[in-house]
Amino acid sequence: MRLDGVSKAYGPTTALSGLELTVRPGEFFTLVGPSGCGKTTTLRLIAGFEEPTEGSVAIGGEDVAGVPPEERDVGVVFQNYALFPTMTVAENVAYGLRFADPPGGASRDERVAELLELVDLAGFGGRDPEALSGGQRQRVALARALAPGPRLLLLDEPMSALDAQLRERLRLQVREIQSELGITTVYVTHDQEEALAVSDRVAVMDDGAVEQVGPPEAVYRRPATRFVAEFVGNNNLFEGEVLDRDGGVATVAVADGRFRVETDARPGERVAFCVRPEQLRVGAGTNRLSATVTGAEFLGPATRVHLEWAGPPLTLRTGDPPEGSVALGFDPGDAHVLG
Amino acid sequence: MLVAVFYYPVATVFVEAAVVDDRLTLAPVVAVLADPFFTGWVAGLITDPVGFLAALADPGALWDLLAATATGRVGIIGFTAYQAALSTVLSVAIGLPAAWILARFEFRGRRTLRSLTVLPFVLPSIMVAIGFVAMFGANGPLNRALVALGLGRVDLLFTLEAILLAHAFYNAPLVARITAAAWEGVDASMVETARSLGASPTWAFLHVVAPQLLPAIAAGATLTFLFTFASFPIVLALGGFELATVEVFVFSQVQNLEYTGAAALAAVETLLSLGITFAYIRYERRERGSRGARPQPRRPLLPAEWTPGAVLTRLAVAGYAAVAVVLFVGPLASMVLASVTGPDGFTLANYAFLVERQATGAAFRVKPLTAIRNSLVFAAGALALAVPMGVTVAVLTGKRARGGSLVGALAMAPFAVSGIVVGLGLLRGLVFGVEVAGWRITATGALAVVVAHAVGAYPFVTRTVGPALSGIDRRLVESARSLGASRARALVDVELPIAWPGVVAGAAFVVAISVGEFDATVILASGTDSYTMPVAVQRYIGRRLGPATAMGVVLLVVTSLSFLVIERFGGFVREI
Repeated sequence: MRLDGVSKAYGPTTALSGLELTVRPGEFFTLVGPSGCGKTTTLRLIAGFEEPTEGSVAIGGEDVAGVPPEERDVGVVFQNYALFPTMTVAENVAYGLRFADPPGGASRDERVAELLELVDLAGFGGRDPEALSGGQRQRVALARALAPGPRLLLLDEPMSALDAQLRERLRLQVREIQSELGITTVYVTHDQEEALAVSDRVAVMDDGAVEQVGPPEAVYRRPATRFVAEFVGNNNLFEGEVLDRDGGVATVAVADGRFRVETDARPGERVAFCVRPEQLRVGAGTNRLSATVTGAEFLGPATRVHLEWAGPPLTLRTGDPPEGSVALGFDPGDAHVLG
Repeated sequence: MLVAVFYYPVATVFVEAAVVDDRLTLAPVVAVLADPFFTGWVAGLITDPVGFLAALADPGALWDLLAATATGRVGIIGFTAYQAALSTVLSVAIGLPAAWILARFEFRGRRTLRSLTVLPFVLPSIMVAIGFVAMFGANGPLNRALVALGLGRVDLLFTLEAILLAHAFYNAPLVARITAAAWEGVDASMVETARSLGASPTWAFLHVVAPQLLPAIAAGATLTFLFTFASFPIVLALGGFELATVEVFVFSQVQNLEYTGAAALAAVETLLSLGITFAYIRYERRERGSRGARPQPRRPLLPAEWTPGAVLTRLAVAGYAAVAVVLFVGPLASMVLASVTGPDGFTLANYAFLVERQATGAAFRVKPLTAIRNSLVFAAGALALAVPMGVTVAVLTGKRARGGSLVGALAMAPFAVSGIVVGLGLLRGLVFGVEVAGWRITATGALAVVVAHAVGAYPFVTRTVGPALSGIDRRLVESARSLGASRARALVDVELPIAWPGVVAGAAFVVAISVGEFDATVILASGTDSYTMPVAVQRYIGRRLGPATAMGVVLLVVTSLSFLVIERFGGFVREI
């Protein structure tokens, strides 16, 4: 699946501008970003519910411009399940088989049973969708999308309507099914944790454009832009002028602090770098700054501490929360320079 | 399809009004506008605008104008607008208390009562007219009650008051229904917020509730004006030709074969109505949405404590209920009563007359069974035509369709164009025949009647199916399409099964409207044997009241049956 220079405008509003994306066969690819960033629009363009204003969408190497949704061979699962209320669970799953023969020469009934089994809902075929729980409905929607054997699976915030525990369990199950079938999948979510947890690769989007594409770990550890640094992992941002440089390590002035970070920037240039909340330490590290605690949130396994200092506010994630005035530090290797 | 059965006929009316001797001219239309007989003092404004406005500089002249307006000396178009305005005021005055009771009180039968507010839409107007004649006639229950009380008789027939009351009968429930819906949409937490900020219940109502009701009241009033402006059978039966509105005059001109004059007048009327309709539809689109609020709690009809305030409120409710019973139940009850009473008390003579007429009447006489058969056949025909049309229009004008607003305005135009105009257009266009590529196409009277009914009724299908369809999550359709269904297939497989109650309710409307339709039918059926029950009623009423009321009761039974179907699927009807 490939998007080439795709733009989408609604009247004067631009939803997407010049999007370039390639999803590899069998890959679990996630579009993540805040609401309004264009990720759902992207999905709708791939599914054929809307056509791009500019650029092209290709599925399996073939340009699908003007191809209606029913001929794109793409399975879609929506956040609100969108089960047909006038049909039973089995009829819902069988719906796509009215227009295509079940893959592998199975009969329609066999295929429905096979898919209900796959999503752990064997024996639920006769029920009304209304009689199911949210998680069950979402699994029916998944089975329905998979039944005709599409070449591409699109999931639009499929977990957002579910509670936290169920969400984690279901996303694991979705991932297992995806690996088992080896189906190319595009997953849309606003939840960065979810994106990092399930994906082969992640595309972080903001304001109609892709900020960074890469494996979850790369995006998390080496954010390419300030937006990605803040959106993924709630990084602490530092920005200042390079004072001098010694080999690959420069000294940067931020507010009243002087920090040594690894960069090729020359003296006089401005650089931005980020430090993740769990990499800030109390009373350790070679870069030091003094800060005051302004508040704390107990998260269970750790506590998130909010601090202020001469620069922009900081957050610290630790199992041993400090109070009052503290000396914070981090090592040059833990600071990631942006751009 | 719509073009053939609606726009073409209406267009012929306009062409007829604007083309004389193969030349395009506005002469007939200007002649109508400039004739004081049609437009009263406004004619002066058209023929001599400068002199007219100059004369207005004199305050006395202005005062004369106002006096002329108030006393109804404003020509036929002026009178039509005048009675429509008065009818609107009366309908709003009677409708608002009903809205208050429906929205703010809880009592047994509230839902049924609420559903009953849709009844006027399906009640044949000629039947209501009969009911009013029976009720207010010289020997009607009203006068008998007055005589029994030692008071003098009042003669309300053939007065403006009778027309206004009959119009209120029709339109007050409409105002009540729209306003009550808006009232129930007012979120209780808004009122509670106002109260906690220090507003008394009265201030909270004035500041929070009333502004949210005003748009609904305005919508109800606009529709009322529209309907009463084009009202025909009520004015014909209760006003006669002395108190003629545009519709009645067009009808009488058609009967005198004065087609050009009729067309010019009809064109003026149609333009006026279309203007108002367009304004209404634009307004309505703006006001959509904002549902799902938590409504204010309803009060029980019997208060827990009989405080002076509570007693006063309940007295008001009881007083209104009494008025409502007289106005709404009275005419129908009077009609049923009149059909079974004769000079010597209870009698079935009127029904016997119908049976006898059927058995022995001469061929040219109006036979009841023929009327019933025609009504049912036409209703079936209208059903076959109007339901697919209505559904198609609903799909095309859905909130997601491109250009839906324009299509919507064009497609809903039959709401605004009176049955008389459609009837006239069909008569001139189809019945007298059209030349298409050398072929002369004519439709027989019966087919034209079916077409006229379908045109009048399909907007109701659109109105019941439309909300049901647009309430459907678009992702259902998108799911179906990505599973391989075409757009049309998704409509059949997914949307229509969900919207089915709306389709059935719409179909019931079609039957009721077809059975009750009078305006277009009377024009198309004149001189033929494709008369229907309402036309039969009108032909009987010319001779004696008794048989007409009996025929009216038959009509009432048929209409009530279709109402039962609508009521069964009531949820969707609320949107109208």
